Amino acid sequence: MDTQDQHGRTSTSSHGGARPGPGPRGTRGTRRGRSPLLLAGGALAALGLTAGLATPLNPAPRQAEAKADGKKTLTVAVAQSVDSLSPFLAQRLLSTSIHRLTYEYLTNYDVKDARAIPGFATKWEPSADKLTWTYTIRSNSTWSDGKKATAEDAAWTFNKIMSKEGTATSNSNFVTNFRKVTAPSPTKLVIELKKPQSTMAALDVPIVPKHVWEKVDDIAKFNNDKDFPVVGNGPFVLTDFKVDQYVKLKANKKFWRGAPKFDELVFKTYKDQDAAVAALKKGEVSFVAGQPALTPAQANGLKGEPDVKVNNGPGRRFFAIATNPGARTLDGKKFGDGHPALLDKRVRQALFLSVDRGTIVDKVFQGNAVEGAGYIPPRFSDYAWKPSAEQELTYDPKRAAKLLDDAGYEKNGDGKRVGKDGRPLDFRILCHATDPNDKAVGKYLKEWWGDLGIGLKVNCLDDVSVPWYAGEYDLAFDGWSVNPDPDFVLGIHTCAALPEKAKESAATDNFICDKKYDELYEKQLAEYDPDKRAAIVKQMQSWLYDSGYMNVIAYPNAVEAYRTDQIASLTTMPSAAGNIYGQDGYWSWWSATPASGKGNSDGGGSTGVIIGIAVAAAVLAGAGALVVLRRRATADDRE
Amino acid sequence: MTSDTAATAATPAAAKSPRALARARRRHSAVRFWRAYRTHKAGLIGLGTLVVIALAALFAPLLVGADAQSVTDAPGEAMRAPTGEFPLGTDQFGRDLLALLVWGARISLTVGLLAAFLSVAIGTVVGITAGHFRGWYATVIMRVTDWFLVMPTLVLAIALASVMDRSLWTIVVAIGVTTWPTTARLVRAQTLAVESRPYIERAQALGGGHGHIMTRHVLPNVMPLVLAQTTLVISSAILTEATLAFLGLGDPTVVSWGGLLQDAREAGAVSAGDWWYLAPPGIAIAVVALAFTLCGRAVESVLNPRLGVTR
Repeated sequence: MDTQDQHGRTSTSSHGGARPGPGPRGTRGTRRGRSPLLLAGGALAALGLTAGLATPLNPAPRQAEAKADGKKTLTVAVAQSVDSLSPFLAQRLLSTSIHRLTYEYLTNYDVKDARAIPGFATKWEPSADKLTWTYTIRSNSTWSDGKKATAEDAAWTFNKIMSKEGTATSNSNFVTNFRKVTAPSPTKLVIELKKPQSTMAALDVPIVPKHVWEKVDDIAKFNNDKDFPVVGNGPFVLTDFKVDQYVKLKANKKFWRGAPKFDELVFKTYKDQDAAVAALKKGEVSFVAGQPALTPAQANGLKGEPDVKVNNGPGRRFFAIATNPGARTLDGKKFGDGHPALLDKRVRQALFLSVDRGTIVDKVFQGNAVEGAGYIPPRFSDYAWKPSAEQELTYDPKRAAKLLDDAGYEKNGDGKRVGKDGRPLDFRILCHATDPNDKAVGKYLKEWWGDLGIGLKVNCLDDVSVPWYAGEYDLAFDGWSVNPDPDFVLGIHTCAALPEKAKESAATDNFICDKKYDELYEKQLAEYDPDKRAAIVKQMQSWLYDSGYMNVIAYPNAVEAYRTDQIASLTTMPSAAGNIYGQDGYWSWWSATPASGKGNSDGGGSTGVIIGIAVAAAVLAGAGALVVLRRRATADDRE
Repeated sequence: MTSDTAATAATPAAAKSPRALARARRRHSAVRFWRAYRTHKAGLIGLGTLVVIALAALFAPLLVGADAQSVTDAPGEAMRAPTGEFPLGTDQFGRDLLALLVWGARISLTVGLLAAFLSVAIGTVVGITAGHFRGWYATVIMRVTDWFLVMPTLVLAIALASVMDRSLWTIVVAIGVTTWPTTARLVRAQTLAVESRPYIERAQALGGGHGHIMTRHVLPNVMPLVLAQTTLVISSAILTEATLAFLGLGDPTVVSWGGLLQDAREAGAVSAGDWWYLAPPGIAIAVVALAFTLCGRAVESVLNPRLGVTR
């Protein structure tokens, strides 16, 4: 499932990290001979910091859109790393997107309105008691090694996940309710359930070929990246992979929906978004994935480029602040060190009353986002929810101050709010060092909450998962990509998702556990009527909103760009206005058509080069002048 | 200075307390130092630059306003090119970049000075003890020094900064504990030279203990070296601070020059070609580093007699 692209833990923390950067020259060497070295070293290092920055031109070989052999290649710049290419283990958006392209799922989502449409299955229906689902499997899908793909493969895949031999990492929420999965005939798949489950038409599980995977010794450790090409039946076939460099796919000419128009699809890793943008300007890549979204400056810079189109569509993720409600295990053992004041609903609401979401959308996202309200982004109009006027927690610092006063947190002489136990309201917020938006919003929060008498420490880490799972945080920047079926993002706030042991990784998002919410969750899962189910989902969002546990600040847009001289057309999802990278289907890459013209690709990037050269020249001139000065100063001493 | 000497000469020595004599001697040598320093033009330029920058940093609240760092009261629009109102343009929050540059000087200078001080302090302690005690202690401690010496400083500092909290002090500690080995080696060599002089033996014969020898006899003799080393280490500490901040290891809520470069990169200023955001902090770092190096070189040649001889 594509959902597990958690803004926080595994997914976005993968881009970025320690970037190799220019550093100062060491001051080693003999004492006497140091001066010119250090002079030059100082200038060089500073130069590296400015000029090196201004010219992030990747020395990678120029990759033209049409190669000598006439193959049409589409290159996508991505920031994320692949966690695993095994459909049983993969959780990141890039990996799950690749699985969408290389394997078939029982159902797919319509590109217009994201309703379930035939995929590997052509038809599906529940029994009268809602507990048995029968899928008709298509007969015109073949694996890339020539064998026919059948219901037997699907049954084997589900049974393997249900066996839980370390195979349920990515898809456990779909199968926990399964009693039995069988394939009575090659075109018939039967799934028996313990309880009714409304997500049966949205099982985002890649179906793998049984005849290949049953030979794998230890599926829990197998990353599916040894034998290329990897056998699959999606629109593309995985042909090559190098960690943090590229993932190569070639078109599956026998794909039942029709072969993709590009011959090759390459996901190339650019840890630095600016480098990816420079590569796009140079024509080295055809597409820059909006994950993380291009910054307003990057998007504006690209809008002026010839042959580049910037796509700015509604995204499928939310950007939120989560509060730690007191971390605990399934059997109620408390752990972690969340601030006790956050257990008071009034404090949580006061925090959110003093966050001006409109300003964040205007200033940080510069309009490339929609102001947050309910938990599910408005793009999924069936489930999206908005608070009523009296329920809404709008920006109101006065009301926030009053709430805090009422809760017993009065300001002391220094203007700090202190609880009855004498502990001041000093919070820590977990932020992803790799996400500029986290840091930017952190600056605003610090000032808004500071005015209220609340201290904030912005704690930016490359990998937030350790303190997160340990419950050692007060607040955290949070965010998930939401699927057309909201079951997964709702399920992560149930008690069942809590960890078994303290500090263990678990499905829970931030340790929320509430009886009322859980009841509603069970109800929506068992409800087959779409309208009734949507109503329950909205009630759940209303509860989440009031609880103050999740403050959805914004729904960031997907801001991504591609070269029109390499890609003639692409389908966004939803097709009217939406995203291209990370769709709930394979539509974008499957539908992409190559542009006929070669197009020039030398115009871009020159500004950066010019700046770099100018700065380099200025610094060198300065250094040169000083050297001359020094020589003059010591002229008397030299012979 | 001449009047000083005259006064000292005119007053009978016996009438002066030893303390006053020492004070006079110190004043005397400071003046002599300044006269020698004055002959180094590059050193004067460096010093002048530093004074200007230090004053700007000190009076930042008066010069550019105390709320220049506030994002909620940002005066301008986001990412604007230089205009009359904002001579260096604005950042992604609409803050005045010139003001941020001035505020950034505070952090960059503070961290640079503190880190250099920490580094030199560690190096001096290690160097003097290793030179004084010799034996297995010196062997062990010098191998540790060698180990730190061959470790790439930046890698070590990044490792340290990423396991500790993001704060100013983290950066100071990360730089301080990774850059001391050069100082330690230099100080140890000087200590060995000082300790081989007869008066040390005399002091020992008179009952001077380890502490007494190290603090009363060795330390004053290695001080000039340490002072010169400090000024040189400052420039590299400022560069390292900028590098660490640029790599996103600094405190994200304070403004420093390296942090400004990092903000610029994250905002996409590089690919958008917003030079006014990128160039000023980079140039500022280069200028300060250069100024400290120039001062350090000048101090070094004034204080180290051997350097003077060859010149």
